[in-house]
Amino acid sequence: MDPAKVVAAQQGDALALDELLDELAPYVRRLCARIAPAAADDAAQEALLAVFRGLPSLRAPEAIMTWVRSVTVRTAMRLVRQPDQEVAVGPALAERSVPSFEGLADIDDALARLPPSQRAVLVLRTREGLTEEEIATALGIPAGTVKSRLHRARAAFREMWES
Amino acid sequence: MTDAVTPADIDPIDRLAILAAALPGAVVRQRQITAPFDAVWRVVADLEHAIPRYEPGVAHVRVVERHGELLRVLVQDTGGREEMMDAKLRPGWCLMQSATVVVAFAARALGDQTLLAHLEHRRAATARSARSARSARSYDPRPAEAKVDQELQVIERLATQPGE
Repeated sequence: MDPAKVVAAQQGDALALDELLDELAPYVRRLCARIAPAAADDAAQEALLAVFRGLPSLRAPEAIMTWVRSVTVRTAMRLVRQPDQEVAVGPALAERSVPSFEGLADIDDALARLPPSQRAVLVLRTREGLTEEEIATALGIPAGTVKSRLHRARAAFREMWES
Repeated sequence: MTDAVTPADIDPIDRLAILAAALPGAVVRQRQITAPFDAVWRVVADLEHAIPRYEPGVAHVRVVERHGELLRVLVQDTGGREEMMDAKLRPGWCLMQSATVVVAFAARALGDQTLLAHLEHRRAATARSARSARSARSYDPRPAEAKVDQELQVIERLATQPGE
């Protein structure tokens, strides 16, 4: 992302805003589809509105992707409507490695059935490649919470996968 | 890992709302026009002929450069002053910008009718609003909204009565 384009957009250059939207929208929509599959379109539109409304207040244009990720993840989490009940599992189950996957559609189905808070950390870790610290920043939660949610999410995912 | 999610393009009306969110003071109005999308967009996209018909302050418009979706447009107002605008134009989306103003149109087919949204924004308003939220709150948008509504009505007339 070109910081000069971000600065131009912040100053009200509509064509820069239009280009920025083209660059950000696929990422925002993908994150929303992963984290809030049942409300992906609404979440993406709300997240993009929040991003563009808040753009003038962004102090570090070079950090725009981190900020966009955080706004998007929090918006998607807010719009997820299904009950969020985390599944507790024992450490032995959680430490086993995740099996290799054949069908992406099956993975998405399994992810969609996880509680939203677990789905979010697992998606951000395994599909988006974020570190636990980056996930903590995006979600606005302590790194220790990310670690424990990842532990439960992996175990819950594995149980679903093997069932 | 291969990404199985293929995001669709943003709907033009949604795109206009996002653009407006970044332009404090922008006026956006919509009108459901009783004409098919193609007829409405033919009017909007015909910049040289349509803009002087619906924009009261504009006398002449000339497209001076065109590279795919990107255009440069020379606009002469009724007082004879000229201003260059950069524009992006594709079916359902038209965005024009000069040093002082942003104008945009977005259209979506609604069966055999068309939802047309129109944005106007004075670029100086962005800086002013950023400097003072109070001045943004005291800004009365009604005259600008009435102007945009009037322009949408003219476009509807041009789309539904093309011989006029």
